[in-house]
Amino acid sequence: MSELLDEVSLVERPEKNKPLGVLFWICVGWITLNIIGAIFANVLPLQNPLFEDFNAINAGPGLHHLFGTDDLGRDIFARVVYGSRVSIAVGAGSMLIGFGIGAPLGMLAAYRRGRFDAILTAIMYVLLAFPAIIATIAVLSFWAPRSLLKIILVIGLASVPLVYRVIRTATMAIATKDYIIAAKVQGATDGRILVKELLPNIAPIAVSFLLIGIATVITLEGALAFLGLSVNPPTPSWGNMINESRTVMAENPWLVIFPSLALCLFLLGLNFIGDRLRSHFDVTEVKL
Amino acid sequence: MIEDTKLLVVKDLATTFATAGGPLAAVGGVSFDLGPNETLGIVGESGSGKTVLSRTIMGLQPRSNVTVTGSAILNGFEVVGASERAKRQIWGTEVAMVFQDPMTSLNPVMRIGKQIDESLRVRLGMNRADAKARAIELLELVGIPSPEMRYQVYPGQMSGGMRQRVVIAIALAGSPKLLMADEPTTGLDVTIQAQILNLLDELKDRLKMSVILVTHDLGVVATRTSRIIVMYAGRIVEMGSTRDVFQNHRMPYTRALLESSPKVSNPSHTRLTTIPGRPPNLLKLSDGCSFAPRCAYVTDRCRSQRPELEPGEESGHFFACWNPLPTTRGVRSS
Repeated sequence: MSELLDEVSLVERPEKNKPLGVLFWICVGWITLNIIGAIFANVLPLQNPLFEDFNAINAGPGLHHLFGTDDLGRDIFARVVYGSRVSIAVGAGSMLIGFGIGAPLGMLAAYRRGRFDAILTAIMYVLLAFPAIIATIAVLSFWAPRSLLKIILVIGLASVPLVYRVIRTATMAIATKDYIIAAKVQGATDGRILVKELLPNIAPIAVSFLLIGIATVITLEGALAFLGLSVNPPTPSWGNMINESRTVMAENPWLVIFPSLALCLFLLGLNFIGDRLRSHFDVTEVKL
Repeated sequence: MIEDTKLLVVKDLATTFATAGGPLAAVGGVSFDLGPNETLGIVGESGSGKTVLSRTIMGLQPRSNVTVTGSAILNGFEVVGASERAKRQIWGTEVAMVFQDPMTSLNPVMRIGKQIDESLRVRLGMNRADAKARAIELLELVGIPSPEMRYQVYPGQMSGGMRQRVVIAIALAGSPKLLMADEPTTGLDVTIQAQILNLLDELKDRLKMSVILVTHDLGVVATRTSRIIVMYAGRIVEMGSTRDVFQNHRMPYTRALLESSPKVSNPSHTRLTTIPGRPPNLLKLSDGCSFAPRCAYVTDRCRSQRPELEPGEESGHFFACWNPLPTTRGVRSS
């Protein structure tokens, strides 16, 4: 077997992964900062977002009020930070529900195929055909009183068909690969194949879609808040801050600029991370 | 029949796909058997049903649109009609499979050591340390240098030949009695092909396995098989010892197949002999011999009546032909 040793040279060195780039890490830092801010908002040295300082109404950005104040004298910086709580909670919570239901169903359907897949996919596509935003608006308008939990639940359920479609397609591309059949003829059970073989292979796609999904859902919450269908004032959220500031845009542009900027940068960061991860993990088979 | 001594007995095995154009008989009634420690070659063109046959024997079918009739008894286990749960008991330990393309038959996101460990731990109930030791042993057995190091790498870091060795190591993990190798060298460089085939041959003897070698490359089966089955349009057209099939074939298709492969002894710029026409549409098979439209020796009888396998002069040699080629044995021996 000595001639086999010649083959050693054919073995490739582990490829050094291309770095993810500075911008990627800036985005990660920014999103982390936002999340930390949202979690620890009441511990951080922030002003009370509900305190109405009548000595400083519609004040511009300054030392005392970093981002200025709104028409009731409330500190905009504090409100933006507190507002991120609602956005992030809705984004993470509803995607948790969406993936919790949509991903296992999508994987199972793609792996099993047959009648189960046909029926489930038909149902999901019917749901997809109905605009999610109309459905959520309809449900939230009638399901009183509104609470953060209900909003998360409704948006989460509305995202199930989308998640299902993405995960099912991703799984289908993998499920017919030889290594899945190979695992099967080695006697692996279906559950084992789903968790050990399929899941790690679709994980990169799932994670990028998760991040982009969170961004989409946050926009949806913004839209709902703008229509007055998200959390009730005076609880701040980026969406309802933009909505409330609409009327005073001419006198106090800061009131609309800062929450919009916060929303915009957060979404941009998430989208960029998701996109970068997707292209990073897009393993086109190593060229030999 | 002396079924007790046979590892695999296949009888009237037929696999039919329900397609939009009607039932398609990919395998149309095939019978053969395989003894322990024997290498059987299954050869045929693309679409002759050899891959479907091998997957049917494995008990691997798409979940719908397919009906399997007949019987395939593997070491006393009837594969046809068995439940997934029952087949899981024989997969890996009775029969294992080596795939055509080593680039797609290993999980790209799992270290190769773990891929071998999996079946050792799950099927044989070994603990982590034992499984690792055994996996390294298997890597060594299939001729992978510095197996401890290779245990840690991902498939993407290995060449095609090395990966195919890993695939074989995985297949051997459960000490199967039958190794099904479906075109095991088609995806490899020519120089690596011989190495892999020699390895399979060597392992067969060392581990007392039987091997079914499915291929379209006659060079692959020529020296390494004890018996050969020639398939055409889902049926066996000739079956016999390797010597009989190569030197004493009676079916015109076998000869055409042999003549269409290049030979080193040919002078340069020799045109390859080709078989005129194309393989038949399996949806529109005639009642006669499937090879009739392309056969040089065709008669009216060939077109209307299908020949069945008939024994030849040598024991174990069968062919399905109304106008068999004259036996060449006498000529050669003189």
